[in-house]
Amino acid sequence: MLSLLGGVFLGWSLGSNDASNVFGTAISSRMLKFWTAAVLASVFVVAGALVSGQAGIETLKGLTSIRLDQAVISSVAAAVTVTIMTLLGLPVSTSQAVVGAIMGIGILNQQINLGGLGKVVACWVGTPVGALIIAIPLYYVVAAIYNRLNMNLFRADSMLRFGLVAAGSYGAYALGANNVANVTAVFVGAGLITVFLATLIGGISIALGIITYSKPVMETVGKKLVKLDPFSAFIVVLAEAITVHIYTMIGVPVSTSQAVIGAVVGIGIVKGAHTVDKKTLKNILLAWILTPVVACFIALVIDFTYNLHYIPLQ
Amino acid sequence: MFNFLFKKENRVEVLMFEYMDTVKLTQKSFLDAINACVDDNKCENFDFLITQTHKYESRADDICEEINNIMYTKALIPDSRGDIMRLLESIDMIPHFFERVLFIMQTQKLSIPEFLALDVKELIRISLESCDLLFKQLTLHLKQKLGIRALLGTIDTNESHCDHIERRIITKIFDSDLDPFIKIQLKELIVTMGEISDQADRVSKQISILSMKRRV
Repeated sequence: MLSLLGGVFLGWSLGSNDASNVFGTAISSRMLKFWTAAVLASVFVVAGALVSGQAGIETLKGLTSIRLDQAVISSVAAAVTVTIMTLLGLPVSTSQAVVGAIMGIGILNQQINLGGLGKVVACWVGTPVGALIIAIPLYYVVAAIYNRLNMNLFRADSMLRFGLVAAGSYGAYALGANNVANVTAVFVGAGLITVFLATLIGGISIALGIITYSKPVMETVGKKLVKLDPFSAFIVVLAEAITVHIYTMIGVPVSTSQAVIGAVVGIGIVKGAHTVDKKTLKNILLAWILTPVVACFIALVIDFTYNLHYIPLQ
Repeated sequence: MFNFLFKKENRVEVLMFEYMDTVKLTQKSFLDAINACVDDNKCENFDFLITQTHKYESRADDICEEINNIMYTKALIPDSRGDIMRLLESIDMIPHFFERVLFIMQTQKLSIPEFLALDVKELIRISLESCDLLFKQLTLHLKQKLGIRALLGTIDTNESHCDHIERRIITKIFDSDLDPFIKIQLKELIVTMGEISDQADRVSKQISILSMKRRV
């Protein structure tokens, strides 16, 4: 069971980083206390993992068949990649790191499910694009309803706060359902645990990351989003949650950060404003390419080093 | 249905209307004080009415502070919080001008000369009409009702009218045989009176922008 620690560590880092994508706005703008958001996010992450986390696990474990030691290596490689990318200040995707690491192991095993890989890569491109496409009509529809309700200042304000909490909780559910596969799918593939246990352990480790270390990230990342007006921020979180949920139903783990960026660009198109600058877009593109490649390379190096044996001269 | 979840917001809403009622009381007390002095040069009851105006103005300040305190304890979203704070600051200038006019008259022992009485009454009447319209506009804004733009137009017209009266009064002051020192004092008083309609106009424009901003 000690082998699972690598996955738990990955889940912890995922929770501490990605919770900001769902509750960052509410926290940094002081609409919600950190502990309220952390508890809500944790509960919904675990619920999402348990209720809808199986599909993603099935997809990832099907990418290649790996042994237990290789499962640990891929988890560690993904965690190291996430750390390096974070240090470089690039928007990191845990999903891409995990898939890249699994591919590294697959290359060594000379066994890669190209069909499954194609589906995953197509979904990576589709995440921000999907969020963008969802955010635009969502903005118009919700804005029409919001304007038609003709609420007074205080009711509208309360409604918006409630909406942000609800969208954040839904986002946390989608995060748990979608990203739990990144954390424990390799161990299911290696035959160490069952799918149910994988969703439970994965969900709890993500929740642990949210409760213990997400506060600084939420406060920092949220401030970038809060430049949007509260209504747009609500639409961004909702569009991100819907996008990630759709990918969960398809069974592909995707990046919540990339979904947020897509939704923010969508809002920018609606409002005719530049919500994301060229430098950010360049960094996202760079991270898209670098994250799986670096994770694949690190997994290859660790696995190769681990399997080096001293053969005495005859 | 979810009212219990938004106790602070509901309290801010109640306090906003309470604040408006208190400013209206300040306005009434101010008008009584001005009338007492313009109609009767002995200015009987003037000190009492000044104290009364000051009392209401302080009460309005207290309510304002309470609203700000509640908002600082995380009521409302930051955007609305900032809008309400700025709006209250602007509205709060109006009772401040009421008080300042009365204090100028009290501390500098100024009385309105008879040849200016009608014009001053006209200036005050239109300025206070602007304030009444402003409160109507604020109520419409808080209750998200239509008609804000129409009131903005009337308040703007009133402000221009007040500017004309203000200039007319100042011209009359300097055309008169009054002591030059008194002329300067009266000019300061009239300019301060003119600030009431100017401020009402500024707040009215602010409310109009806020109401447009609320639509997404």
